[in-house]
Amino acid sequence: MRSGKISRRAFLGVARSAAIAGVVAAGAVGALAGYLGGSSAAPPKTVTTTMTVPGVAEPLKVGYVYVGPVGDYGWSYGHDRGRRWADEHFGLPVKSFYRESVPEAEVGSAIETLIDEGAKLIFTTSFGYMDATAEYAEKYPDRYFVHISGYRSGAAGNAPENMSSAFAEFYQLYYLNGLAAGAVTETGVIGYVGAYPIPEVVRHINAFVLGANYAYKKRTGKNIKAHVNWIFKWVGPDDARKAAIALVEEKNCDVLAFTEDTPAVLQVAEEYQKKGRKVWSFSHYSDMREYGPNAHLTGQIANWGPIYLDFYRMVATNSWRSVDIWTRIGDYTPYKWRRPVEQSTAGQPEGTVYLAPLHPAIPSEWQLLIKQRYEEMKELLFEPFSVEGNLGEPIRDQDGEVMIDRDKIIVSKASGEVRSGGRADHDALWSMDWFVEYIEEPLPKL
Amino acid sequence: MTVQVGTVYLLASLGEIYAERSGILNLGLEGIMVMGAAISFIFTLAYGHLAAILASIIVGILMSLILAVMAIYMRLNQTVTGLALTMFGLGLSGFLASPEIRRIILLALNPSLPERLLAIQEAPKLPEIPVPGLSEIPVIGCFFRQNVLVYISYMAAPLMWFILFKTKPGLSLRSVGENPAAADAMGINVFKLRCAATMISGGFAGLAGAYLFLGFQPFWQEGLTAGKGFIALSLVILSTWNPLKAILGAYLFGGVEVIQYRLQLFGLGALSPYLLAMLPYLIAIAALIAVSIESVRKRIGVPASLGIPYSREE
Repeated sequence: MRSGKISRRAFLGVARSAAIAGVVAAGAVGALAGYLGGSSAAPPKTVTTTMTVPGVAEPLKVGYVYVGPVGDYGWSYGHDRGRRWADEHFGLPVKSFYRESVPEAEVGSAIETLIDEGAKLIFTTSFGYMDATAEYAEKYPDRYFVHISGYRSGAAGNAPENMSSAFAEFYQLYYLNGLAAGAVTETGVIGYVGAYPIPEVVRHINAFVLGANYAYKKRTGKNIKAHVNWIFKWVGPDDARKAAIALVEEKNCDVLAFTEDTPAVLQVAEEYQKKGRKVWSFSHYSDMREYGPNAHLTGQIANWGPIYLDFYRMVATNSWRSVDIWTRIGDYTPYKWRRPVEQSTAGQPEGTVYLAPLHPAIPSEWQLLIKQRYEEMKELLFEPFSVEGNLGEPIRDQDGEVMIDRDKIIVSKASGEVRSGGRADHDALWSMDWFVEYIEEPLPKL
Repeated sequence: MTVQVGTVYLLASLGEIYAERSGILNLGLEGIMVMGAAISFIFTLAYGHLAAILASIIVGILMSLILAVMAIYMRLNQTVTGLALTMFGLGLSGFLASPEIRRIILLALNPSLPERLLAIQEAPKLPEIPVPGLSEIPVIGCFFRQNVLVYISYMAAPLMWFILFKTKPGLSLRSVGENPAAADAMGINVFKLRCAATMISGGFAGLAGAYLFLGFQPFWQEGLTAGKGFIALSLVILSTWNPLKAILGAYLFGGVEVIQYRLQLFGLGALSPYLLAMLPYLIAIAALIAVSIESVRKRIGVPASLGIPYSREE
């Protein structure tokens, strides 16, 4: 099933080679544009922050490798926030430094320079860094490596013991966003601006649409209609804008979710709100409220800091153990139990993935349900990809095939493997290659 | 929407037409545009829209002066210097607008800025100004519900066509691009005129960058032009160095970019997403191929000295 296990960063590589192929065919203008588009990031540079506690000698040295610039407001920005959070909360002397805008092919030399600077622990934060990270873990058995968004680790048995992997997962939060969307939509049509049709984005879209259908069908008795517009970029604010406007103008969508690393879609929604048309959107990775104060419904936010801090502690106390961490709601929180709805922490920062504040436009009964589900998911008492998440109905794909039923699931369309259990399991989530029936457009094949 | 996207290309190509008509190929367009965007971002936060637009034009002119000195006076290869200018602009704009440096610049420009504006990655968008009456008309009304830079582009294109083809300075400019030696013999200062045309292209490219950021998508992102400067360059050829035809070309390119996201919603995108994404470039290639055919070339009149440095000693 490895071929199905493709995360977002995997497709940077695929997309780049596809882009190069396209550009070669397209000739001079395309080549120049593609080349410059790809290499527009500033040259890698180093920034160092030091925190010292008097009386303790040797600081822990930690190196980070980022695929983008820290100013992207999305992926790399989020990791850098995590780095600063971990440094602040560590409590012991730590010196962390990073290389930003490192192309995936150059991660090896970036790791070497970090080791030259004395890094004991190294985080590589792009899917495409995975194999090189495993290689360097083998080469430097006295250093520790953590790779983000991949599937190779000592724990998984496919990398050396000094390598771990970690990821902060959003599908539960997308389901809650969907509940909010279904609760406020007036047209009954919602839109999604997608980056690449890969399992990670597909499960986020499906979770969002399932949530929206739950709320909308409960409200009106009708199924939700969902449209997906792909931009084939992780970062492309002007493409996201065009795609978002097309969803509103052509299909009358009034809630827009997205997987793109900037607040562009939220900005579009805000412009509509200012013109008096109710269009809503969300936060993604960071709290984006200031980019759309009127249009911001809720959203999904990640804090990588607690994950990083965990590894800092392991290395500092010589208690390393290779792990494969996939965090969801409630992980890395001091109190992982379900709270009563009135005391719910939904909308407040906690753990590694949490919900952005809920807009008052969401009716109070739906705010309560969102909070209830949020609390239930801390204990995994509720699962979006289950019959329960779909008003008691089996979850069907666009062909009408039942993918998730009360007692069995189909892991993926490609494998056709049937397993028992009424919830999508890890493999089903990691290889999701189908759209739920409420989505109008077919899923593009890559 | 088509107009909104097309205006970026229109503004950038109008200036470039002047530069190429005078014989200077300004391949630095992309770099100047991205600098214009970065400067407009920073200056809008510090001083507001008007200052931002003026500053991005000035920075565009200053950047094009680099090209002018190297390509006109030092007679260096225009392709190489232009591409170098693009790289320079992409790097410098990313540096200036990066969070830490931007904070320092903003505080230097306006020490009373609130903390929120020092950290934010967006700037207020240019407001839409509907033209009374005209904006109510169905179908074409959308042309008159735009921001001020779009209206400037509407006026600039015919004006620049008029100057280029109906006035004496325009004639001089074209003759410099066709046969600089003959123009020189007639007493035209080839160097000064080429320099002026290059500066015009820089000013418009800076303005195009400011429009892209302030008028279209006001979120700062390193290298946010993403190849638009090069599309504008091919548009110059497609328009056969004619500012009026550039209007049509710009809106054609704008329309192609917009339509790919509409086609997807009608089930066509899923067939071949990459093909749709390539559409603007395919049209650019088709235009370039058409122009490269000898008979077409003669008929449309490529400036004969385009890209060739002029030297009096020869």
